[in-house]
Amino acid sequence: MPKLDASKLSALKTLLKKNKLDGLIISDVKDLKYILGKNIFFFQNEGILLAYDKGLYLAARSLYKIPLSSEYPEIKIEGFDYCRENKIIETAKKLKLKNVAFDFNKEMYYSGKAYIKAGFKEFASLIASLRVSKTETELEIMRRSAKIVYGALPYIKKLLKIGVTEKEIAAKLDDYMMSKGASGTSFTTLVSFGPNGANPHHMPGDFKLKNNMPIMLDFGCVYQNYCSDITRTFWYGNKPSAEFKKIFDIVKTAHDKAAKEAKYGMTGAQIDAIARSQIEAAGYGKYFTHRTGHGIGIEAHEEADISRLNKNKIGLNYCFSIEPGIYLEGKFGVRYEDCFYMTKNGTKILN
Amino acid sequence: MKNSDEKIKNFQKYLKLQKIQAFAVMDYDSLNYLSDFHFSTQKDALLLITQTKAFCFTKELYAINLRKAAPYLTLIISLNPADIVKKVKELKIKNAAFDPELISYIPGNMFKKAGFIEMTGEISKLREVKLPSEISKIQKACQISAKAYEIFRKKLKAGITEIEAAKMLEEIMFSLGGQGLAFETIMAFGSDGANPHHVNSKRKLKNNEPVLMDYGCKYGDYCSDITRAFWYGGKPSKEFTKIYDIVKSAHDITLKSAKIAMSGNELDAVCRNYIEEKSGLSKHFIHSTGHSLGIAIHEAPFVRINSADILRENSVFTIEPGLYFEGKLGVRYENTVLLTKTGAKILTK
Repeated sequence: MPKLDASKLSALKTLLKKNKLDGLIISDVKDLKYILGKNIFFFQNEGILLAYDKGLYLAARSLYKIPLSSEYPEIKIEGFDYCRENKIIETAKKLKLKNVAFDFNKEMYYSGKAYIKAGFKEFASLIASLRVSKTETELEIMRRSAKIVYGALPYIKKLLKIGVTEKEIAAKLDDYMMSKGASGTSFTTLVSFGPNGANPHHMPGDFKLKNNMPIMLDFGCVYQNYCSDITRTFWYGNKPSAEFKKIFDIVKTAHDKAAKEAKYGMTGAQIDAIARSQIEAAGYGKYFTHRTGHGIGIEAHEEADISRLNKNKIGLNYCFSIEPGIYLEGKFGVRYEDCFYMTKNGTKILN
Repeated sequence: MKNSDEKIKNFQKYLKLQKIQAFAVMDYDSLNYLSDFHFSTQKDALLLITQTKAFCFTKELYAINLRKAAPYLTLIISLNPADIVKKVKELKIKNAAFDPELISYIPGNMFKKAGFIEMTGEISKLREVKLPSEISKIQKACQISAKAYEIFRKKLKAGITEIEAAKMLEEIMFSLGGQGLAFETIMAFGSDGANPHHVNSKRKLKNNEPVLMDYGCKYGDYCSDITRAFWYGGKPSKEFTKIYDIVKSAHDITLKSAKIAMSGNELDAVCRNYIEEKSGLSKHFIHSTGHSLGIAIHEAPFVRINSADILRENSVFTIEPGLYFEGKLGVRYENTVLLTKTGAKILTK
């Protein structure tokens, strides 16, 4: 039986106090998963939580009411069929709440408009600010999630044989992760052979492995609600081509340098620049077509972007990937990825 | 399967009819629906559809594929909604619109400030009636899930956990050509079935208990949805048989009653009233009778209480009555159906 995590609830209370609020609307599925400790809602808009100074109120689609009530006796739960926003607005009124906020990054225009009309305030990313810095418990789960994907590497290398298809290898990776306790994958497992790796989002197909070609694996699993993510590119066959070796070295160096030189207090953009400048200096800047990394936690991609656009500092216990890549259309692609968390003394790998 | 601009063209006809010069689109389902292209996430593209053009704001990452697959899109490398506003100004468009239920708060406010008008449900209205190309994808997805049930039944053995059984079922669908899941598979053993949206656990299947499985796959980005409940091993309990029969008959009667131009509320009432008259148990029927599906697993027209949505020719929706008894069992029976001139046809077979 899942229980509400007391440390998260007290952090939530502090958050309300700090922002001089007596109520906060939480409607994002992943934010709800974070607070409630497990995945409850199958779809967006099936439940809205109102966290207030004295407790939690949940408006949920009627079909969730009975099972949720027995699971969370400490939450007052009401069923709704329509007009979910109205349930929250009415409840806030009944509770005589005066300073209720909603997250303008997470609401649809229609809902936000209804909340504004009710006198609620706009606030940005309040739950995200809790989620981005992981607790010790969360870090431990993320390490275990990461251990599963690192364990998958030697396992899958043994299964790579001439003639296997990308799809077959992807299925084997998924099976392995599930057999080690994962409840699912963080995202669709990507397996690319040969020139397919030049497309960073190539979906595994019936392409068969041949001798002497590069292989790219990008995969992750969900373990106790937390995601892991890893990418490896390597040569299958005798001797890697000179070009592959050259590109691999540039990418790997950029990855290692970013991991080593990223410091507590740097912005996402600054860390991105470490990897990017390395690749640019080698003359491949325009072939590095994506950000250096992304935040990771309950979602495979969450706040703490390591990108040119992120001018926010990477704080303590923020978890993120570092995954530079170079893509040469028609030839191959190379990406190298690990996930890290930030400590006062720099990054530590999640493993 | 070749990507096609037929849905964009339909939407443009609609815009002309409504005298709207441009429409901003940002939600994931509408993006994939209109562009006929599979984006990985909602954040990967924005669309601005004018009466004659389709602008796709996206990342460089997608540009290579899009140029080949969807030459009917005019690409702009940017993901900033402010660039939509800029484009609208540049084109001297006076009445641009957006859907307030499908646009997030921040860009919605930006569009509102720029003078865009709010129009609710325009794209979903378009999606309510499926094109032949869409029906054939849904049908394929439905056939895969129906066939998977038969194979699954033969493979199911006591001792397997819900999580393992769900995985087995999903693999069967993939081996039959399924390209993804329509939603998270629900695999509920014994009393777990009493929670309509049960989250699979490590509970092991025992002999002589009910199984409820609600699942579906995707084919070419289109969904299927099916639920089967059955008794595993031995002879079903009297209670299970009784409840199953009520639910199954409610499904059959609803299927027969579905007609073009009925409202969602009317069809829901057929199902709900039947259960009440037959058994007095309608308060245990704690969800709607059905929902439409297509590129999204839940879309309009909805078959539920108070739904004024009209069921049209070539609407595709589910019929899924269920009865739930906490701590004991739940039974649901569901098919995806296509509404035709001669009534509803089951696709999940």
